[in-house]
This record gives sequence, C-alpha cells and structure tokens, in this order.
Amino acid sequence: MATWGMVFDLRRCIGCNACAVACKQENTLPNGVFFTKTLTITTGEYPNVTKTYVPTLCNHCEEPPCERVCPTGATYARPDGIVMVEANDCIGCGTCVIACPYDTRTILEGHHLKDGLFGQGQLTAYEKQGIGRFTKGTTIKCTFCHDRVDGGLDPACVVTCPTEARIFGDLDDPNSAPSRLIRQHKGRQPLPEKNTRPRVYYVG
Amino acid sequence: MTPLEMGLVGGDFRVGYRLQKTWDTTIAVAFFCGEVGAGLFFISLFTGLKSGFLLGLALVAIGKAGGHVVHLGRPSASWRALRKVRHSWISRGLASIMVFCIFGAVVTLDAFVPGQMPGALVAAASVIAGAAALVITVYQGLAMSHSSSIGLWSNGLMPVTSFAYALLGGMSVQLALGWGVLSPQMIDMLHVFALGLVLLGFVVVVSLIHAAKYGPEGGRKSVELLLSGENKMMFLALVLVVGFLATAALLTLGVGSRLLLFIAAMTELSGYFTFRVLMFKAGAYDPVFTLARPGRR
Repeated sequence: MATWGMVFDLRRCIGCNACAVACKQENTLPNGVFFTKTLTITTGEYPNVTKTYVPTLCNHCEEPPCERVCPTGATYARPDGIVMVEANDCIGCGTCVIACPYDTRTILEGHHLKDGLFGQGQLTAYEKQGIGRFTKGTTIKCTFCHDRVDGGLDPACVVTCPTEARIFGDLDDPNSAPSRLIRQHKGRQPLPEKNTRPRVYYVG
Repeated sequence: MTPLEMGLVGGDFRVGYRLQKTWDTTIAVAFFCGEVGAGLFFISLFTGLKSGFLLGLALVAIGKAGGHVVHLGRPSASWRALRKVRHSWISRGLASIMVFCIFGAVVTLDAFVPGQMPGALVAAASVIAGAAALVITVYQGLAMSHSSSIGLWSNGLMPVTSFAYALLGGMSVQLALGWGVLSPQMIDMLHVFALGLVLLGFVVVVSLIHAAKYGPEGGRKSVELLLSGENKMMFLALVLVVGFLATAALLTLGVGSRLLLFIAAMTELSGYFTFRVLMFKAGAYDPVFTLARPGRR
C-alpha cells in the first residue's frame, strides 16, 4: 500500500496559481472556496524586492489534529494516508477547522451553494452538475483528488503545474520522485512544531 | 520581515496571520451560558438555593444547547457527536450536557416539590448532576486548548480559566439571587469565596495572556490584537477593570446591599462575556512562515 505525499519545489513555483484554478475545476469548488492556494511573501524594499511563493493545501498529516478532535468520526484517514471527510457524518461543528494549523478546511454555508462563480445568484450548467454532491453545513477539504489517484492519475494541481513545482508520489517508496527530492534537498515540513507530521514537504 | 511585522491577511493569497472565523458570537454565548449555568448549579448543590438550580439548569439546557444548535451546520445530525467520547472533548461535552439536563431536572424538581421522589434517587442524581456540571465548567477550555493551531488557546491555563470563570459567575449570581433567602452566615461565606475567585480569575487571565505573549507566533499576534489593537479598550476596560476590579470593589462594599451585589453580578458577567467574545475574535493561526525564507531565485 502506497502512502501518498507531495513535495513543493519553491525554486520552481512562479506563483501563477494555475494549480488553484485546476483544483477548482476538478472539484467544482464554489465561489470563494479553495483547496489549494499559492501564497506570496514579499520581502525587501524598492528597488530590491523579492517575492517568494508558498503553495499550500491539506497536508494529509500522519497525526491529523482534525481527525483527533472530530466528535463524529466524519474525518478519517484512509490506509494510504489521504485524510477524508464523510459528509453524511459531519455535523458542521467547525472543531476540525479550528484544529487545523494550516487553515485548509472550509465549512460550506448556504451562500456557497447559491451564489455561483459569478456571484449573481445563478449557477452555471457546469456548477449545477458538480455542486449537487456537496452538503450544506459540512466541512470540505483537499483529498489529493482521491478519485484520480485511485485511478492511477496524479492530482489535478500536479498535472496542471507548468513548472513541475508540485511532485506527487509514494513516500514509502525510497525511489519515488518525492522521496528522492526530500532526501536530496532536506525537505522541510510546514510548521513542524505543531507535531502533526505533514505528508507535504517543501524543498528549495 | 519578522513574523510579528506581518499583518492580518484574511483570505488573501499572502503569507501572514489569519484569524479563526469559525467559532463566533453564537459559540461565545453557548460557552458563557454553559459555564455560568453549570457553576451556578454546582454551587446551589451546596447552598440548596432553589432559584439557583432552576436558572443554572435553564442556562445550560436553553442557552448553551441553543447556542450550539444555532451554530451547527447540520443540527439535525448533532446526535452523531456522541460517537467519539473517547477522543473528542466536544463529544464528552455533549454527553455531560445530556447527563446534566436529565439528572439536574430531577434535583430541581425535588427542590421545588420535595418528598415526591425517593431520597436515594435524589442523592444519586445530585452527585451525577454535580459531576456533569463540573465537566461542563472545564471541557470548553479543554476543547479549545486541545489542538496547537491557535497559540492563544493552546495553553493549559485555558481550562483553568473556564473553571475559575464558571465558579465566579455562578458565585456572583448566587449572591444576587440568595440575598434574603440564604442565611447571613452562608452569604458571608459566599462573599469570601467570591472575592477569592475574583483574585484567582484575574491572576489566571493575566497569566494566560502572559503565556501567549511568549508562546507561538499566533499567540503573540493575538496578544497584540488584545492589548494594542481595536480590542484594547474592550479587553482592558471591560475584562480587567469592570470584570475583576469593579466586581471586587462592589463585592467588598456590597456586604449589606442586595443592589450592590446585583450590580457586582452584572459587572462580573459583562467582563466574562467580553472575555469569551474576545478569545474568539483574537484567535490567530501561526503564519506558514518557516518555509518562506526570503531568497533570490
């Protein structure tokens, strides 16, 4: 059984956010909801200014605090490490949203399912076919595109990235692309002091 | 740029501090009602104050449960929250609220209509309701401090704060309700306890802020928001001055006056409610900063 993880190569990321758009398309995410974002940090002063891009998504932690605090068991980790939410069991208490140090979870409110991507209260045909699978009042989050992964494909954000800054693979396989990158470039995990043991690493 | 120089970024695609928005005023109302109600009921078990039983039970059953129902995304499925009592403080809290409401109702009924139920049943119900009330006074603080995501909350003092505020709120309401009903000796004793709890609450709240200031980045940002931002006046004036200092002064001066004791209860509860609201308003996540080392590509 593979243990899925991802590596972000900060040297390659150009902050185009094509990943965020691909994710929204793949998952039919409502207006204002993102499973992945590429954040920017600006340092220095004009004319010596540097921008660094930091892609973020659910880290599918080995010790997921969201799972620990969930009162219903709606949040669970699959054997391959992907952290999921069972919408039928979620009661929308928000405890998991609070517990995630990476702020990568969203509770679906009524307006998310009504406003539409253009914010005019009308859903496009594309939204109608996808938004119906969501349940109002429940938590949603990145699933590493589990349907694609189960079918042998990479997540949508990974295949879309034009600079191959996102590398997805089996962290248990020492010869997989992410494992080699983590080993060669001393991959770092986000906020390691939170003791969540993320399966997402950053290099560069 | 050091982390503390970063601003709040809201939903922007920037690295910086993000405030939690999930738990808001409805949860603050629920926590407030739960802690004051459970504290009042718990103290009433020792004083036998009938109105204390009734108000305490009503605050938990209506105020706390109602606040949670309004907040939940799917309230019709809330029973599912009983599933993970071994892992989740939310589950434990729900279980203790249900136990409290059932056995607290038995105790309250017996207080108003004595002699209708077997003494052993009432005694057992008192013990169980008291234990459940104790859990309600602390579990909210434990739920907040359980995860490390929000530095201001991730502190062992948070449940102590809940416990101190619950007992203080219950005690101040007990004094206002019990004037003329409870014996003068009992009132005198409650006075002493109330003043001690004001002191304890003040020390615990100041210690909580102190610990957050020297804790994780998010905790420091939260303290900055409480002490120098738009919340400064509310925190300093309402939580510390009105909630503790004014309450202590009124309790000291109000030994012989029901009006002053009533005002003392109001000042204490105002400070406490403000504290609950501000804890949620100022809860900040750490920025994903450790990865954003500036460097030229």
